[in-house]
Amino acid sequence: MHLFPVITIGGLNIDLSSFIAITVSAIITFVLARLAVRNLSVDKPGRLQNFMEWVAEFVHNTIASAMPLNKVKPFMSLGMTLIMFIFISNLLGLPFGIVTETHHVNETFGITQEVLDEHEGHAEIAWWKSPTADISVTAGLALIVFFLINFLGLKMNTKGYLKSYFEPYWFFFPLKLIEEIAKPLTLALRLYANIFAGEVLIATILMLGVIGTPFMILWQGFSLFVGAIQAFLFTILTMVYISHAIVSHHDEEHEH
Amino acid sequence: MSFHWESTVYAIVAFLILYWLLNKYAFGPLFSIMEKRRELVLEQMSAAETARKQAAVQMEEQKQALQEARKEAYDIIEKARATSAKQADDIVQTAKNEAGRLKEEAVRDIESEKGKAIASLRGEVAGMSVAIASKIIEKQIDEKSQEQLINQYLKEVGSK
Repeated sequence: MHLFPVITIGGLNIDLSSFIAITVSAIITFVLARLAVRNLSVDKPGRLQNFMEWVAEFVHNTIASAMPLNKVKPFMSLGMTLIMFIFISNLLGLPFGIVTETHHVNETFGITQEVLDEHEGHAEIAWWKSPTADISVTAGLALIVFFLINFLGLKMNTKGYLKSYFEPYWFFFPLKLIEEIAKPLTLALRLYANIFAGEVLIATILMLGVIGTPFMILWQGFSLFVGAIQAFLFTILTMVYISHAIVSHHDEEHEH
Repeated sequence: MSFHWESTVYAIVAFLILYWLLNKYAFGPLFSIMEKRRELVLEQMSAAETARKQAAVQMEEQKQALQEARKEAYDIIEKARATSAKQADDIVQTAKNEAGRLKEEAVRDIESEKGKAIASLRGEVAGMSVAIASKIIEKQIDEKSQEQLINQYLKEVGSK
């Protein structure tokens, strides 16, 4: 498997490929969004604006399916940022890869003699990948969600949130605690595993050479699909978790 | 593949910055535009509803006006009919009166003419009587012939 360029600056191990990928994804997301809202119009929306409004509608419906309609609005931006950033991140590694080969010890990129020996004298360094194919990155996203749901639960629904740890009986507390920790863990692992597996398979198909072309086409299409599904899943799960945290069951019964 | 917590931190920071930027420069304006469109549609719908109601009210008003006009026209025709009938009656009545008056006048004229004729006849008779008397005195005829004469004259008068 490929190695990743890791440089050490002031005791920090910085994975350059992740940093590049995150930055590029964020820039593409922002530029796309900016282009879409460049010529905003109430009665004559352009094509990109139409697309962005469709995304907004979609996210709105997604969030509305997870929580009461009157609480949707504050989470619209979060939902749209999540789905767009993750979707673009998922696709980033699909079209091409940048791999350099090295046969020399290069301490700057973390290629030490031991690593070289391990790979029989020639190491391949991958510079380009989906940021979401890196568990460190998906962990970051999941941590944001983890902090967000607990913070929102404590702030907007203090009593109900704290009580939910001891329901239906007090001895459920350890179980609830595990569930709470499992939430970000599964979020991070699910996203990472899906995208990473996709890229591993792409690298494997590449080894097949010309024969692999039909497989490549198929798998690229499927990866597109998986990328969309995973972005959607991450978003809706985030919203469901938030909804659980901020809406106590008593409220819900009241509204229905 | 190893876990680099530096990537995690960078991902968090990058995502937060992206969220902030998008919220401020992209989604904020987008949502406000969508909200504006929603309001526009609502406004147009309510305007259409108002226009519809207004049209219904005006329709009702016009219907009423038409009804009134129809009633008025009927009244006018009725009145005209009554007036014309009355006028005709009046004319006939006047004509009748006039005819009666003319008739009466004619009758009166006849009466007066008749009276006049009788008076003039009487005068003539008196004159004749005087003439007869004078003739009798002139001729000095006997009583018998005198009586015969008077009778003759009276007969003459009666036959006139």
